[in-house]
Amino acid sequence: MSAPLRGRILPYILVSPLVVFIGVLSFVPTVATTVEAFFRVMPLDPPNRFIGFGNFRALFANSVITTSWINTALYAAIGVVLSVVFGTVIAVALRRRFRFRGVILALVILPWALPAVVEAVIWSWIYNPTFGVMNSALHSAHAIGGYHLWLGLDRWLTIALIEVVQVWQITPLSALIILASLQAIPQELYEAAKVDGAGAVQQFFRISLPLIRSAVAVSIVEALVLSLNVFDQVYILNGIAPLGSSVMLQTYIQTFENLNFGGGYALSLLVTIATALVSLGALALLYRRTEAV
Amino acid sequence: MKGEREEAGGVAVNARERLGRAVGQAAAGRPGRVVSAAPARLIGRLIAIIVILLWSLFPIYWALNTSFTTLSGADSAPSHYFPSPLVGTSYSQILGISSSSFGIATQLGRSLLNSAIESGAAMVLTVGIAVFAAYAFARLEFRFKRVIFVSVLATLLLPAYATLIPLYRIMASLGLVNTYLAVILVYVSGFLPLAIWILYNYFNAIPKELEEAAFVDGASPVRALLRVVVPVAMPGIAAAAIISFLMGWAQFLFPLVLTTDLSTQPVTVIVAALNQQRIVPFTLLMACGALAAAVPGILALILNRYIVEGITAGSVK
Repeated sequence: MSAPLRGRILPYILVSPLVVFIGVLSFVPTVATTVEAFFRVMPLDPPNRFIGFGNFRALFANSVITTSWINTALYAAIGVVLSVVFGTVIAVALRRRFRFRGVILALVILPWALPAVVEAVIWSWIYNPTFGVMNSALHSAHAIGGYHLWLGLDRWLTIALIEVVQVWQITPLSALIILASLQAIPQELYEAAKVDGAGAVQQFFRISLPLIRSAVAVSIVEALVLSLNVFDQVYILNGIAPLGSSVMLQTYIQTFENLNFGGGYALSLLVTIATALVSLGALALLYRRTEAV
Repeated sequence: MKGEREEAGGVAVNARERLGRAVGQAAAGRPGRVVSAAPARLIGRLIAIIVILLWSLFPIYWALNTSFTTLSGADSAPSHYFPSPLVGTSYSQILGISSSSFGIATQLGRSLLNSAIESGAAMVLTVGIAVFAAYAFARLEFRFKRVIFVSVLATLLLPAYATLIPLYRIMASLGLVNTYLAVILVYVSGFLPLAIWILYNYFNAIPKELEEAAFVDGASPVRALLRVVVPVAMPGIAAAAIISFLMGWAQFLFPLVLTTDLSTQPVTVIVAALNQQRIVPFTLLMACGALAAAVPGILALILNRYIVEGITAGSVK
């Protein structure tokens, strides 16, 4: 083989394993999900046949599933707000160099690095109704009169407490993204503001916040994608109980418990579209606001 | 819009360098610039850092606290904030040194091995494929380059679960359910986009002149990549590797669906199953959790520099 020819086909050789993996294991399945969402697919009760929007109609007629959509919106709202606010607080606290900052940063990352399943098991013990430390601490502080059953009674409280577990895991992502962006701001801007008599709060809102907007936008989108797809924490802390159930959990139940693959496909397709729309929308909105400044 | 993105990218590279340097300095124990702040502000910062550390570490501490005590020590109200009594019986039961009634020793040992094999192999394959592809995207010209690159990165926004059911059916039709191969292949397809993004950015930050010297000496692009670029890009490669490994170790839904018994089930699936039995005491569960989290936890503490590198590269687009 001549050298120029080898040079011309070399890039294709280098990217072909990637193309095969993504093509066969990402694109083909996504197309399959899109197509099969319009089919009746029951592995235990063949044959499969085209039923148009039949799967979608069945999904919207099922109150457990419609409720899980509202639950998921709530998971996402809590997840985005808490993880981005906490992430910003952590980033601001760690912005300047000081002794042991590297060590603190390493410890802050830790919840992100551990498996969500293990974390959820730990939090289920923290929330335990009879011996959980949350009950114990709140009781010692006289915040509650007696021990409570935190999960499974009240829908909103259950969702909020489960999402806290996910927030605990994903906050380091926002913190690191925003920290990187904060550290790109020249120190001179803060010095100048100080000379003009601006306090810490003013410095944050006048200098930091406008300049970290794109990082905040990215954090919001990451938190959105993660919390719209919350599964592990709900599965461990709430089981398959309908109260507090997320869309992702319902997809799993439809498909692998009820063996209604068509329904699972339709639900997956809706989640995928919703995730894409919401995250692209958030990105567009926040980028436009960044440009306007 | 386009200009904005490029500017954001520039900031990211700049920020990453500064962050890396800052972390390195702080880790080396050098105090850096002494901040001349009022005592009130210093105290405020100290309180903020204590709260941040409590938030980040208390649940981990709580798991360890429970794992190092007896059942009666853990089942107490009010809770003991330090293990009392302090014993290691949970761990000796799990490790099979003393008798355990739940068969945990076998399950945990085997599933930890499965996790290591699955996430280790997925890491090696992901990085191996991504290094060559990212180099082609960063340095070589070819048709459909942009289309392929954008399509690959677009799958980052795709929820992984959009592919769950078809992947299960593909693996089932190939007879691969409950094999390491199925789990590894699915992981690699999921982790490749982020690895590509991290490495692409890293390769782009390396000056082209570095390889040009090698080309003058008659080296092929692949030779230049392996001999010149890869050694310089080691931090980026390490970032892609450690993040792929951690993502693999944390997977739950995919192995829950793709594996059916202890021959392939990773530790996340086993911990969830033990938790679901509702009879395994929390002292044992917390010890299992601690062992399942030990590998990623220790890796994250040692290699946190590369994780910061990878997360900020993969996120600030």
